[in-house]
Amino acid sequence: MQKAYLLALYELAQNDPNVVLLLADSGTSYDELIRSSMPDRVYDFGIGEENMVAAAAGMASAGLIPYVFTAGAFLAYRSMEFIRNDVCLQKMNVKLVGMGTGLGWSTLGPTHHTTEDLSILRAIPGLTILSPCDPAETSACIKLAYQIKGPVYVRIGMGGEKNIYADNPLLELGHFNTLRDGNDISVFASGIILNEVLRASDILQEHNISVKVLDACSIKPPDEACIREEAKSKKMLVAVEEHSVTGGLGSALLETLSSTGVPSKVLRIGINNQFGTGYGTYDEVVKANGLDGQSIAEKILSALESA
Amino acid sequence: MQNQELSSLRKKIFLTAYPIKAAHIASAFSIVEILYSLYCDGVMHYNVTNLNDPDRDRFILSKGHASLAVYAILNKIGIISDAELSTFCRPGYSLGGEVNINETAGVEATTGSLGHGLSFGVGIALALKKKKSPGKVYVLVGNGEIQEGVMWEAVMTAYKFKLDNLVVILDDNKVQKMGFTRDTMRIDSWNERWAAFGWIVDETDGHNVEQLTAILKKKNNSDCPRIIIANTVKGKGVSIMENNPDWHFKMPYRRELKVFMKELNISEEELEDAKSISPCAL
Repeated sequence: MQKAYLLALYELAQNDPNVVLLLADSGTSYDELIRSSMPDRVYDFGIGEENMVAAAAGMASAGLIPYVFTAGAFLAYRSMEFIRNDVCLQKMNVKLVGMGTGLGWSTLGPTHHTTEDLSILRAIPGLTILSPCDPAETSACIKLAYQIKGPVYVRIGMGGEKNIYADNPLLELGHFNTLRDGNDISVFASGIILNEVLRASDILQEHNISVKVLDACSIKPPDEACIREEAKSKKMLVAVEEHSVTGGLGSALLETLSSTGVPSKVLRIGINNQFGTGYGTYDEVVKANGLDGQSIAEKILSALESA
Repeated sequence: MQNQELSSLRKKIFLTAYPIKAAHIASAFSIVEILYSLYCDGVMHYNVTNLNDPDRDRFILSKGHASLAVYAILNKIGIISDAELSTFCRPGYSLGGEVNINETAGVEATTGSLGHGLSFGVGIALALKKKKSPGKVYVLVGNGEIQEGVMWEAVMTAYKFKLDNLVVILDDNKVQKMGFTRDTMRIDSWNERWAAFGWIVDETDGHNVEQLTAILKKKNNSDCPRIIIANTVKGKGVSIMENNPDWHFKMPYRRELKVFMKELNISEEELEDAKSISPCAL
């Protein structure tokens, strides 16, 4: 994903001299691509995320289009007030790219886990939030963010993510792509955890449960029409998120349904009012937090039984 | 003549605030001469008929609560009308207690939460350099807000990025909300601290326009950012308010009002007029 992000940014930067990359000692080896060919486009602010975010807003006020890149946790938590006051309140054309979001920093633990960023940032007016699930969708998000004249937060992973989309996905704001069709329940998820959701859907298929899987990359705005439609036709909606169940995608589903008058059972699977636990590989930490395909399938089966 | 203009600005600030009975008057009085020097004494380059000129100089009030001083100066140079000024903090209107870029023409950044303005200014200065613009960025910071850690992140990056187009003016009035700054934070010398971070430091009487302008107009022959430490008096212009922390966010009672009226040369009629202004006239 990081490579896809950099390649997409490189393309944008080649075509628009106003596109710049801001870092807080937070780059990756892929940055070299831009650093070596366009050194005047890279600004390393040192370890100081708040200053970097506010400076990005200042740059945008004078016509640049900054892509701010750092660990999601430091971006969303540490510089939150700067995202709010300097970027969003002032409607600045700044793109915030959080890396290693969710449980991505699997060996470093809860200080680095980004499991409340959506709760925090979704509440800020005027901020578009995109959560791509694979490299191709990451590239699409970076380009879509460029089209949007205003603040955008893009939530990406640590690197090495598998492809979910065969081709470049068509990405539209406020639209959820269907990854797999099904009749019984609809599962909404965004980001890398969609791999586990697809695995869970295979397991559920063995139990004769037909699962529709939706890619909720456009977290804000969400696809309200889709949520309403699924609520009408399915016996249960499920939100799976590599994030707290408070304030994330599951909450977005409930917020949408609360104004529709369509009662539907909504199961939220994510991190339950706790910090992400465990250390290890990404897959191991996902499992330790009950978000592997098997655990997701079991939670859904259990909810269906008690429904 | 100039003294009269400065008195008029203070009078306007007070009469704008008085009907609302809620404003940071002392903080605004502290920076009147600084703003006059920047906007009215030939320091800043701007065009009132083209506020979006990409090569304009920018002013950022990092201590956003002194907004009234900015509104008064924008009024003086013809960006804010008298009618608009009379809408200060009135429901349904947009002139607020903190400056707001979306709501007031001529304002370059929304501030209010302390410690943001310098970082924002660093960003503008970087963009101006990238675009090879001659524009400069002037950021006025308060002596209290530099207790915010992010200010020092900005101080370091301004030096790193060689922002010789950035000028900070420190409104060093020695007072902050709850008391004297020396009692809130142990500070030896601002001069040495900023110099240690690589900045070019100048110091001046912050109420002497001639001195301020001379220093602000000084050519920067280095590749370093500049700071001008302006020694100011919080509440400057009204004796009972000067250097008195009680007045951070306070309006005068009846007896105190007499002192304000006398020292700001406000007549009964002018006070009644100010109270009677209806923003509906806009």
